[in-house]
Amino acid sequence: MTAILVKALADLRRRRVQAAVIFLTVLLAMATGTMALTLMSQTRDPYQAAFEAQKGAHLQVEFKASTDPQLLASTPAIIGASAAGGPYPATSLQFKHGGQSFYVQTFGRDSAGGDVEVLNVTAGHWARANDEIVLTRSFAELNKVSIGDTIQVVSVPAQPTLKVVGEVVDIDEGSADLSSQHAWVLKGAVPALTTPGLSTYLMDYRFPSDPTSSQLQSYVDRLRASLPPGSITASINYLLIRSIFNITNQIITGVLSAFSVFALAATIAIMATLVTGIVISAFREIGIMKAVGFTPAGVIGVFALQVIIPALAACLIGIPAGTILSQPLLANSSHALGLPYVPSFSLGLDLLLLVGGLLVVSLAATLPALRAGLLKPITAITIATAPRGRSGGWLRRQAARLRLPQPIVLGIGDAFARPLRAALTLVTVILGVATVVVAIGLPRSFQLINNSETGAGNYQVVINRSNALPDAEVMRILNAQPETARVVALDGENIAVPGISDPVNSRIFRGDSSKLAYMVIAGRWFSGPGEVLAPAGFLHDTHLKIGDTFTGSLNGQALQLRVVGEVYDISNLGHELFMDYATLPPNTPNSDPSTYWVTLRPGSDLNAYIQRVAGTQPDLLDVHPNNTSLIGPVKIIDSVLLVLAVVLVLIGVGGIFNTLLLNTRERIQDTATLKAVGMSPRQVIVMVAASAGLLALVAGLMAMPVGLYLHRLLNDVVSTSTGNDTPPSVYGVFSIFELMAMPLLAVAVAVVASLVPGRWAARTNVIEVLHAE
Amino acid sequence: MSELVRLTDITKVYQGGVTGALNGVSLAIEEGEFTAIMGPSGSGKSTLLNLVAGLDRPSSGSVTVAGSDLGRLSETGLARFRRDRIGFVFQFFHLLPNLTALENVLIPAQLRSRVSAASAGRALMSRLGIGEVADRYPSRLSGGQQQRVAVARALINQPKLLLADEPTGALDTKSGDQVMALFAELHQEGQTIVLVTHDPKLATRCAARVISMLDGRVIDDARLETTERKPADVIRVRSEEPSR
Repeated sequence: MTAILVKALADLRRRRVQAAVIFLTVLLAMATGTMALTLMSQTRDPYQAAFEAQKGAHLQVEFKASTDPQLLASTPAIIGASAAGGPYPATSLQFKHGGQSFYVQTFGRDSAGGDVEVLNVTAGHWARANDEIVLTRSFAELNKVSIGDTIQVVSVPAQPTLKVVGEVVDIDEGSADLSSQHAWVLKGAVPALTTPGLSTYLMDYRFPSDPTSSQLQSYVDRLRASLPPGSITASINYLLIRSIFNITNQIITGVLSAFSVFALAATIAIMATLVTGIVISAFREIGIMKAVGFTPAGVIGVFALQVIIPALAACLIGIPAGTILSQPLLANSSHALGLPYVPSFSLGLDLLLLVGGLLVVSLAATLPALRAGLLKPITAITIATAPRGRSGGWLRRQAARLRLPQPIVLGIGDAFARPLRAALTLVTVILGVATVVVAIGLPRSFQLINNSETGAGNYQVVINRSNALPDAEVMRILNAQPETARVVALDGENIAVPGISDPVNSRIFRGDSSKLAYMVIAGRWFSGPGEVLAPAGFLHDTHLKIGDTFTGSLNGQALQLRVVGEVYDISNLGHELFMDYATLPPNTPNSDPSTYWVTLRPGSDLNAYIQRVAGTQPDLLDVHPNNTSLIGPVKIIDSVLLVLAVVLVLIGVGGIFNTLLLNTRERIQDTATLKAVGMSPRQVIVMVAASAGLLALVAGLMAMPVGLYLHRLLNDVVSTSTGNDTPPSVYGVFSIFELMAMPLLAVAVAVVASLVPGRWAARTNVIEVLHAE
Repeated sequence: MSELVRLTDITKVYQGGVTGALNGVSLAIEEGEFTAIMGPSGSGKSTLLNLVAGLDRPSSGSVTVAGSDLGRLSETGLARFRRDRIGFVFQFFHLLPNLTALENVLIPAQLRSRVSAASAGRALMSRLGIGEVADRYPSRLSGGQQQRVAVARALINQPKLLLADEPTGALDTKSGDQVMALFAELHQEGQTIVLVTHDPKLATRCAARVISMLDGRVIDDARLETTERKPADVIRVRSEEPSR
């Protein structure tokens, strides 16, 4: 055993560059894999822990203000809830802070505790007076509102001021960058803050065990049946909230998992190439080892250990590194959930990764090393190196026919001289280039979706009006501005739809909304009353398709609706309806639009427009530029993709480098001969670079369909997880030029990577090499 | 005849070497000469050949071949020099195993961008008696055939000087004789040849001049079949070398 270790260590010292390649590739693969698995294993638990600690509501239902509170107090028994909170009086509050206007659904509640939806006060204290308000920490952080700040309520004529006294984490709502937010005041403060007709009651329900989606739907149906028609205005359940909390991490873990498998596959390919190469070039050494008494297992051990030792070192660093790198994302989750951040990892998982990683590495090293173990000593000593095949001859002849310079012809022939090695190298490069394709494509797809969601380029100004200012007056102001090209006004209503437990949030447009350029996946944009579009999630859950009609219900009034198109929209995980304002029944209460999207004429001064419009009603109008920036989670996913692309490219470069190193070492006598007959150092470098370039070109060309397929697949995964089908335009984010340029870029990177082995080959000392023969 | 090779006071000391591989060697070789450099292992004969071929540089002194001072040439210049002026035949042939015989022969020409050298290559191979194996890979050739291919490769660019380092060392007697006969024929046609060997009989069989070396020095320089020396004299010199 000592002899095996001594020999393996001596060989490692001799093959330092290859050891470094193994170390780096295994390190990157293990760090990525550990990060993915740590996130996967740890992200679900914090939400569940917080949900239990804060007695999260399985179901929250909003009722019309006219509903009898006594009746509401009896609803838990109707649906078999084990605990309930409320009824809490609620109103939609618009307030100003720092020159900006905000909306929060505000509830009257006298304490943060209770049997359901315990609010975790993370800073300050609960409201003690009627002029105090408590916000979610997520809202406060996103909008830079601090404890002690004063806000001015503008949704009621009195425009009272409130002092922010506390920040809480509410387990029953999503983060501020993905969802609208709640706020809390004392119950006694609600009447003074309520706009007539805009108040509701909220009930929180908790059940003995976590209900399923269909159970939740049956609860809402039962409530609807036992209360006067139109009593339920909105409802939301814990499954949706949990999805919103987890969606970013789910996408990141999905992407990380897929690409860590790539990284591992590429690493295995490199190691198999390496060991095969070492065995091939060391036939004589193998013969001598056997001649002096190494058993076949001992020989295999020597070669396998040369890979396992640097791989073990890489695992010992890579696994803790991956665990550490996953912590910011986990801390982010804990922070959002109001949980104290505790470094989260599983020693068992890390050990499993170590054992699994080493097992895979050992297999990848041992299988090619078997050849060394099975070699007969006399054969090995006699032939010194493995016979070289004639593969590559055809390529070389084709290149010669093209009258390419001889070094290039020879290099092209060398690229595939060892078909297995070439194939394994192609695998590493294909994975690297494919990852780059995804890393370039997916952010562009996200950008397209973001542009559609935020109306980037289609409207420049967003205006919110106070309820004290009539819609007609806002339209008069806007139409009076010479720069105004188009105004689309927006109302939101919750419409009850058969087959869906929670009333569906609906976007109701007035004006030429077809110009907003939402992504219509199938069908068309609505052109008249009663026509609606919905995302795939809605259509799937309601079993509706384009052309179908259904009856919805708004405030107890029936609405005949017909699906005319499928639209992409990530809000509420695909439970959303888009329709024209004319669809609303006459006299629908409080249905006047409160948001206005304004498209300016070309060349208009945006800031001047905003200042002028805001100046007409400074207290009642909130006017700001349309914010089209990417939301935080997308930025995180883009960054993760970028890191993965760098990792996979590095591994791909490592693969090419490793192969060239093996090729040049194996062909050192050929190179020396070529130099002896007149090949210049530069021509030697060109020969090696040609070899690298061809491998990269072939891999690059093969990688393009792989990358495009992966890009498509990941887009589908993201779309599906947000309740959508993928819009076709999101797939086609590459120009023909880019599709052609990427393989060429791979060639350029490979040629640069070839410079080291190329220079090494060019410096071959002819006399030493040929004399050694 | 004009002078083709001139070595002036050449010394060569390898790294770590206490004594030089060559110690103050000076000699000149005329165009058209067939010169044999003879000596036991370690005498410096191969080192001398490598310096003339531009494969190595002397520690001191100068090497001039075909008017080029090799000391003034860069690595690229030396590569061009080897490609255009020198043909080198090795003991172990050093053919590229994944190229056919013809492709091996054509390499120096193609490195020189002579893309239309194929017909010349085939003609040369036919002349050397290996035309029928042109499309075979080296592993399918006998030792003698491989060495003929190596000679063809050395000649393809019509070099001024053909260098051969123990060209029969890896061949059986019959094949060795054939290769030497080929060298004699080439010499008859005017090719300048420098042959390194440790075999006095081989040296004196074809060469008109035999330079004997020992411990990095020229100890004898004999022009044979002249009034000065006869082959037997050279063999006698060899037998009188001090034991090492």
